[in-house]
Amino acid sequence: MAVQIQVAERARVGLRRETSAFDSVGFLRRLDWVLLAAAFALIGYGLWVVGGITRFDVPGDPNYYVVRQAVAAVLGLGALVFATIVPYDLALRYWRLVYCTTLGLMLIVFVAAETIRGSKRWINLGVIQFQPSELGKVLFVLALAAFLVERAGRITRWRTIMSAIGLGAVPILLVFLQPDLGTALVYSAALFSLLFFVGVRWRQLLVLFVAATFLALAVLWVLPASGVQVLKPYQAHRFTGFLNRDRDPGGLTWNVNQSITAVGSGGLDGRGVVEASQTRLDYLPEHATDFAFASLGEQRGFVGSAILLLLYLLVVWRGLRVVTVAGDLFGAVVAGGLVFAFLFQIFINAGMTMGVAPVTGIPLPFVAVGGTSIVSNLFLIGVLQGIHARGNLGRLRP
Amino acid sequence: MREPYRLTPPLALRVGIFGAFALLVFGVLFFRLWSLQVLSGTHYLAAAQNNQLRLVRIEAPRGPILDRHGRLMVSNVAGTAVQLSIGDVPQARRARLIRRLAHVLNVSPRALARQVVEFGSDPLSPVTVKTAVREAQIEYLYEHQAQFPGVRIVETYLRDYQYGSLGAQILGYVGEISADELKRLHRDGYVAGDRIGQTGIEGAYDTYLRGHDGLDQLHVDSLGRPVSALQPRQEPRAGFGLRLTIDTRIQRAAELALRYGINLAHADSHWAANGGAIVALDPRDGAVLAMASNPTYKPSLFVGKVDSKKLAPLLNAEAAKRANTPGLNRAIAGAYPPGSTFKPVTALAGMQEHVFSAYDPLQCSPVAYYGLDRQKFTNWDPYVDKPMTLPEALAQSCDTYFDEIGNRFYERGPEGRVRLQQWARKFGFGQTSGLDIGGESSGLLPTPDWRKQHFRSDWDRAWNPGNSIQLAIGQGDLLVTPLQMAVFYSMLANGGNVVTPFLVSDVEQPGNGKRSSDVVLRRFAPKPPQPSGVDPAALQAVRDGLYKATHDPTGTSSAVFGNYRVPISGKTGTAEKIVQLPGYPAGHTEDQSWWCGWGPSDNARLVVCALIENGGHGSAAAAPAALKVFEKFFNVPGPQAVRVNVD
Repeated sequence: MAVQIQVAERARVGLRRETSAFDSVGFLRRLDWVLLAAAFALIGYGLWVVGGITRFDVPGDPNYYVVRQAVAAVLGLGALVFATIVPYDLALRYWRLVYCTTLGLMLIVFVAAETIRGSKRWINLGVIQFQPSELGKVLFVLALAAFLVERAGRITRWRTIMSAIGLGAVPILLVFLQPDLGTALVYSAALFSLLFFVGVRWRQLLVLFVAATFLALAVLWVLPASGVQVLKPYQAHRFTGFLNRDRDPGGLTWNVNQSITAVGSGGLDGRGVVEASQTRLDYLPEHATDFAFASLGEQRGFVGSAILLLLYLLVVWRGLRVVTVAGDLFGAVVAGGLVFAFLFQIFINAGMTMGVAPVTGIPLPFVAVGGTSIVSNLFLIGVLQGIHARGNLGRLRP
Repeated sequence: MREPYRLTPPLALRVGIFGAFALLVFGVLFFRLWSLQVLSGTHYLAAAQNNQLRLVRIEAPRGPILDRHGRLMVSNVAGTAVQLSIGDVPQARRARLIRRLAHVLNVSPRALARQVVEFGSDPLSPVTVKTAVREAQIEYLYEHQAQFPGVRIVETYLRDYQYGSLGAQILGYVGEISADELKRLHRDGYVAGDRIGQTGIEGAYDTYLRGHDGLDQLHVDSLGRPVSALQPRQEPRAGFGLRLTIDTRIQRAAELALRYGINLAHADSHWAANGGAIVALDPRDGAVLAMASNPTYKPSLFVGKVDSKKLAPLLNAEAAKRANTPGLNRAIAGAYPPGSTFKPVTALAGMQEHVFSAYDPLQCSPVAYYGLDRQKFTNWDPYVDKPMTLPEALAQSCDTYFDEIGNRFYERGPEGRVRLQQWARKFGFGQTSGLDIGGESSGLLPTPDWRKQHFRSDWDRAWNPGNSIQLAIGQGDLLVTPLQMAVFYSMLANGGNVVTPFLVSDVEQPGNGKRSSDVVLRRFAPKPPQPSGVDPAALQAVRDGLYKATHDPTGTSSAVFGNYRVPISGKTGTAEKIVQLPGYPAGHTEDQSWWCGWGPSDNARLVVCALIENGGHGSAAAAPAALKVFEKFFNVPGPQAVRVNVD
């Protein structure tokens, strides 16, 4: 009995000591070094891949995009450190602020962004283009998770669920209106996973799933048939084109067919940068961003693509482990939501280049050219690290 | 103290499920990646390589066309063409590209769009938007290359007509292959965008003239912009040359003679004279030395910068009518009543069938009455009333003399009523002559059976004395082409053999440069003249008559040919034809002016048959025109200031 009290007391004191004075060495030891290594590997590998993909994009400057991507990665490391050090539970306390920041980011786009390829997604900050919806992804998860965890006791009530969905729907709609269908889908998936991890009943999840399916059907099929166009025609075509690929090889599904050809032509070990004609001769549209995976597949083949997928798998695995070691429910739910968003993004992006997912403009994490994407993904890793470092590591250590 | 947070079993379960889901997702991605890259990698590699390969057709130069002495009539000059490979252009950009391109090249966007829809599917053969493009337009396209994906500027060959409109209807023209032609001919290796001979020599001998296109390959990017130089895969082979029987000197003389004849007719107040044809044949083998048709056109209208307004009379029926169908080769496709030029046919048939005898005189009266209803037939010259032999009747072209022969055929009964037609058919009437460029009219040789089939009412269906009599003087329903007439007069000239006229004598491989001469690859031997089975004595009587016609003071065209130093034999014809002229009532008739004959009279080397539409009397317009051709052929000028004898 006395021993137990002694241990508990020591733990309490230790805990207090840790919070009162930041023990940097101890904190570093509590990081998930495997996850960190995976992130660094992804940065390095991503830069190498981008170097290949974009070598002929800017005449006379083969490293144009690599340099910009590297600068973004350095910024991203800052974001990672910030997210690791700042206690994530601040977001639990100030979730309203986080939520409003998210909304603010979404709204700025409508005011400040210029229209690029028909969509207002990017804000021009001079040197780089800032894409708020990418960064908003992490904030969205933090805010919604906080809202749900606050009501953890009443989580199985429909009222709680519906208000969470209502809260989430606002930024989702704003992203959708940019229009950025892909990111809106990522947000929705993240919201669903938050409900999943926070402990909503299976039956309720099933109802939500069925409702979402009906909504999708309505948007794609029933409403257009009755004359209400929710999606823009090209968006709907991409969905139906993905299901019916040979319909019009010259037109709507041209991108997908070129993308599949690119991936397939890579073979086992790739055609190399110089020989990869689909990328080099611009048959592959947006090969530096949306179709980066296809370009990678063409240049580096199955081996090169598999390495990237395995690195992603490593991140997902370590992310799930963070869910299990999280020091509180909030941490667990946030980690779960972030990991699912990450997984969803990978699947949609890599899947679309291979014709197994609809074509939407989501960047491929760590590879697609785009500063905001790499910064926000490193920010995401940072949040996971923060949760890990403040989690219950003792019991899990051998 | 609050219980520290721990992973609850339900959450652990959910993490487990999520992990399984994540594995499933990665499994799907890996499986798909493996199936695309490793299992079907070679297939997609080939697809990717094909993506960037374009085969480019290298146009073969079309073969030249030479006259009988090797003078170049049609050749090629280098030109520039703008082509569009619509397959290289993303769907969304096509409409705009077509609009812009049409604007730059000054062609109709709608026509271009239709062309693209019709032919755009074949990636190998781009649509030729325009040939003979101006320098400024080329420069613009080069400078704005990025805005015109799929557009290529290529060297091409343009047909070059050395003599302008000379021989236009014989030579024909070359045009882009139509969708219908393509459907019919794609098995023979024709592809969209090919140019194909449409009429005349260009059309009939297209297979020899067109040559074989070559192929180059090049690499292009996704917008169809070339990224490599052309690599030859197959050399083009130039088309073969054709040597015609036409003599450009005679041809030009014939075309000028036509205009001269028309002017004469105008001077003789036959204002409706508006066209005509002249055929000049070698009576020994049927070689066509000249074949003129008026009005005419410039075949170069079809080359390069096509002016649709100028082309309309050639392509559009309504406009053609207004311009008196310049595209029609009247020498072979125009059918006219022959009038008196047909009388030698009646004469020969009558003698062969023993209807009459050449030197038993028949009365040439001003008026004659035939049939139950005593139908009245008159001679053109009301002041002649005397018995005549055949040569005299031919020389003076006595109508009533031949009316009598026609009536005698009629009175022979149903058998006899077709005898004249049977002989006419032997001489080549009522059927095409077999000219190698086709496009001939067979004319019309009326028979009692034809009347029965062709008409409804009993009155019209009946074959009356009048029908036989009209036929005997080349009137009524009878229609002949100038070429048929020339073939018949060749038979008279060469002693009774029917020739098959032809225009192309051989196919040649053009020599390169001045040193190496042309190599004859294939000679088209003319079909040997076929004996018509005419009795030489009967033929001689007709020949005498036709010599008298040009030399006897009473002869119909002796005013024209009587003093010409080369003896010419021939016959005038003045054929009434119902014509539709603006401002005249329906059923208005005009005289078609004919002259057919040969020279020298005893050793014929040239047959000329001239027709001036609505030109009045044969001696007034057609005969002087025919003389012009003889003058050029024999290089012997005629007597100055021909006195026009209006008989």
